[in-house]
Amino acid sequence: MSTDVAGVVQIGWPQLLLATGFVIFVGAVSLRLALGITKDLAIATLRTYAQLIALGYVLRWIFGIRSPWLVIGVVVLMVVVAASIILRRSPDAPPGIFVSSAFSMALTGFTVTFAVTGLVVQVHPWYEPRYVIPIAGMVLGNSMTGIALALERLFADLDSRTDEVLALTALGATPWEAAYSSIRDALRAGLIPTINSMAAAGIVFIPGMMTGQILAGADPVTATGYQIVVMLMVAAATALGSVTALLMTYRRRFDADGVFLEKGFRAR
Amino acid sequence: MISNDSLPGAPASGSMLCMPDTNHTPLLEARALTASLIGDDGAVQILDGVDVVLASGETVDVVGPSGSGKTTLLRALARLLPGASGELALRGADSASLAPVRWRSAVALLPQKPAISPGTVRDNLLMPFRLKAHAAEGQPVDSELRAVLDCLGLADIALDRDAARLSVGQQARVALARVLLTAPAVLLLDEADAALDDASAEAVRVAVARFAAGGGGVVRVRHRADDGLASRRLRLEHGRLSEVAR
Repeated sequence: MSTDVAGVVQIGWPQLLLATGFVIFVGAVSLRLALGITKDLAIATLRTYAQLIALGYVLRWIFGIRSPWLVIGVVVLMVVVAASIILRRSPDAPPGIFVSSAFSMALTGFTVTFAVTGLVVQVHPWYEPRYVIPIAGMVLGNSMTGIALALERLFADLDSRTDEVLALTALGATPWEAAYSSIRDALRAGLIPTINSMAAAGIVFIPGMMTGQILAGADPVTATGYQIVVMLMVAAATALGSVTALLMTYRRRFDADGVFLEKGFRAR
Repeated sequence: MISNDSLPGAPASGSMLCMPDTNHTPLLEARALTASLIGDDGAVQILDGVDVVLASGETVDVVGPSGSGKTTLLRALARLLPGASGELALRGADSASLAPVRWRSAVALLPQKPAISPGTVRDNLLMPFRLKAHAAEGQPVDSELRAVLDCLGLADIALDRDAARLSVGQQARVALARVLLTAPAVLLLDEADAALDDASAEAVRVAVARFAAGGGGVVRVRHRADDGLASRRLRLEHGRLSEVAR
């Protein structure tokens, strides 16, 4: 077993092959019992190898170059990919959702990430990729999940409330007034995973970042400070991103006269 | 430009609705209403150049086979139909001079499904007054709420009762009471008495007659037998409106 100077156990090919052996065993069991997951498991294992090895080399390259433009470019790329994923997850959403999602995530991603690296962790230089990229990844990943859940709930809820929305609009309600209860429920839906993980952190599971730091040899109390900062900023980013995306999007389901575009009145 | 005092869509709780129609301007006028819906096979024409003229104090019934576009017509009159075209005027004032929200407060549609909100009967009756469109109007007091409910045959329904536990027919009348309390100029009723027994339907008929007698105009979509209230019956078929001879 080889260790580095910090006492961290190095993972080499033998360890990787041992871990892969467990997956091969599960695949064999699946094949024997005709569970039908062998192919998916094999593809997922290969993807994990390919994506994470590539990530390791890309991050090593970026950390070596230390260019602010490269760091900003990586964060922008993350935003664009996340917005595309939200677009795919919301097939019933009105047009323009990509721009709204990308804007919401860029706003929260840049604001929260650089608030943490600049004001809380106070890294030098401000674009230090070793801090900025992992933190932006956590912020954007959680925002993406929150925004996707919130938007999906908003448009599904509005469709299920078509009669009520019509009745409210007929009584003189503005789109905001007619959509308000759906917006409120959608925000709650977007925040539930984050709030649940905050409630269970430290009791049900050890959060990912803290686990990584402990495995890398950090003092658990030091790791706690980082983890609390990360969880709070993720909660803030998810809430801010979801609110921004909901506010930018709900009005698109109404026409210029403020009438809800129910099925039969919309192009898609 | 219309001043606030003379807004044709202004709530008509005061003397406005009772004023005689001296210059014979129709209360509500629609010209060349056209509308289509997007179906599985593309756009389907529902209204094809429909004209409607409604005088103050008049009640008109719209009849026709299911799916002929009666609900669509009421929504177009209330400016609640996306993509509809044509001209609308209230007391001679073009609809473009009124914000959609103001128009809908004056030309009030009661949809076929009552859409009762969670809460008590009182919460539901006061709900419109929590909207910006009616915020400037004073909230009705309990005695006013009680009077409207009594008039609609709901004398035994307490204001504190959970509205979700009412029968469909009772909910339909609470929804009608809610619209009446906002004192619109025109009432558009989409099968308001469809879910009612004969006695309740008669109570609704009397309330609607009283509203019209106060100067309001009423357009009803109905499937029940003629109750003698409407001065005209119009038949909607193939996107066109024609008067039914009596």
